[in-house]
Amino acid sequence: MNPIYLFFHKTGSPPWFYRFAGKLIPWLWAGFVVLTAIGLYLGLLRAPPDYQQGESVRIMYLHVPAAWLSMMIYGMMAVTGFIALVWRIRIMEVLTISSAPVGAAFTIIALVTGSLWGRPTWGTYWVWDARLTSELVLLFLYIGVIALYNAYDEPRKAARAAALMAIVGAVNLPIIHYSVMWWNTLHQGSSIGTSGSSIHPSMLWPLVFMAFAFKFYYGANLLSRARLKLLAQDHRKRWVQELLSGKEK
Amino acid sequence: MSHTPFILASYLISAFVLLWAALAPVLSKRKLVRQLKVRHTRAQRSDVSQQHMDKT
Amino acid sequence: MSQPALSTAFLALLRRDFLLAYRRRAELLQPLVFLLVVVTLFPLGVGPSPQLLAKIAPGVIWIAALLATVLSLDSLFRSDYEDGTLEQMVLSGQPLALIALARIVAHWLVAGLPIILLSPLLALWMNLPDAGVPVLIKSLAIGTPVLSLIGAIGGALTVSLKRGGQLLSLLVFPLYVPLLILATSAVSAAVSGLPYNGQLGLILAGMIAALTLAPFATAAALKLSLS
Repeated sequence: MNPIYLFFHKTGSPPWFYRFAGKLIPWLWAGFVVLTAIGLYLGLLRAPPDYQQGESVRIMYLHVPAAWLSMMIYGMMAVTGFIALVWRIRIMEVLTISSAPVGAAFTIIALVTGSLWGRPTWGTYWVWDARLTSELVLLFLYIGVIALYNAYDEPRKAARAAALMAIVGAVNLPIIHYSVMWWNTLHQGSSIGTSGSSIHPSMLWPLVFMAFAFKFYYGANLLSRARLKLLAQDHRKRWVQELLSGKEK
Repeated sequence: MSHTPFILASYLISAFVLLWAALAPVLSKRKLVRQLKVRHTRAQRSDVSQQHMDKT
Repeated sequence: MSQPALSTAFLALLRRDFLLAYRRRAELLQPLVFLLVVVTLFPLGVGPSPQLLAKIAPGVIWIAALLATVLSLDSLFRSDYEDGTLEQMVLSGQPLALIALARIVAHWLVAGLPIILLSPLLALWMNLPDAGVPVLIKSLAIGTPVLSLIGAIGGALTVSLKRGGQLLSLLVFPLYVPLLILATSAVSAAVSGLPYNGQLGLILAGMIAALTLAPFATAAALKLSLS
């Protein structure tokens, strides 16, 4: 058999995926812990305070990677959702809906850290700033996907509806992002931005490490959520029964 | 204004959200496995009793 | 048995939708009355100062139009779904996207078009300067089809759910954000004597994109709801 076809056939099989993900998860957690340790060391101890923002720039090492990842996870949901709808691969349905809570968590982190950064910098917790506003809209999109999934009784139908909503949202997401940015320049003068000026390497490295650390976290959390969903959906199938009786011994 | 409380709060809240999001599937999986095991053993027991009844 | 031509099927569906709409015209008036009531609440809420009303007029009128549209979206496919007509339409062999498009066009004609016709009155109430009124009408003319097109996807996704209405608004409002931004800024720009063709052009581009993509997404969602 064609090796590529074989690979898809295997990853499409729930028992194989369950075992494979189970082996992968500890490594992803390890990667997360190591990268976070390096990133926090560089960001909190080594990086100098910013000449404009002062010490509060250290919040950026959380805010920026979380904001990046929140957008990326939505894109991932659309990709896996598209595969799920077109080829009807169940693993992809499970991955799509398992991504949503993780993405929502990172969106919440981006919002909270953004407003905590805003208090010392702008003097207020909330400003209708372009990044914060589009993160807020993104949170609503995530909540919509999750709510749609929960509203259906049948899990597979629910996952496919959520996947379709994720695709529709992902098509709109760039438009929302750019229209909000444009709207923001229209309504207020420039505030202290984070982009534009070149970032000094001492501030860039912690950002890079934290960004990769969060991606490992996403991978680990996504797979453990997907495993849970598969177990719940397949609880009458033989592979789960064998797994359970195997664990009993 | 001192920035430290805001930095501290950001890191603590983020850690809390990440921890909660990571623990949620682990805890609910543990619960699910426990439920399934109970159902599993119950099913087996009824199987055994069924066989027993068949014999007698 | 030979299939009727696409245009025949499309027109037949439109005629049927109009007939149904005409028979329950009281129900169709509700979103429009809602629109008028919402706009009335703003002067009562923020005070009758003409300058303030003129400043917030584009936003208020557009938000009221969004709310009124979403209110009418829940019934877009529901009755057809509940009495099994939708299933028969799928079985008819005609492309589902075409059926969806006919339904969307009918929805716009009975829900979107009246908003445009009412908008001069709303502009008057909100004290919108004269320079803004033609642009408001233009922005509604090309913007309300986008509301119906994108809303239809949400309506199709929630049609098989018992309480789809609340979920529908949660799904659809974030998707309306760019349209709201562009349309209100076009009207505000016209009021302050600035060029506004860019915004209207972008809305038009969005409408064409939605017109080509939304019927297929709606068809996929309908198929999913019926499965």
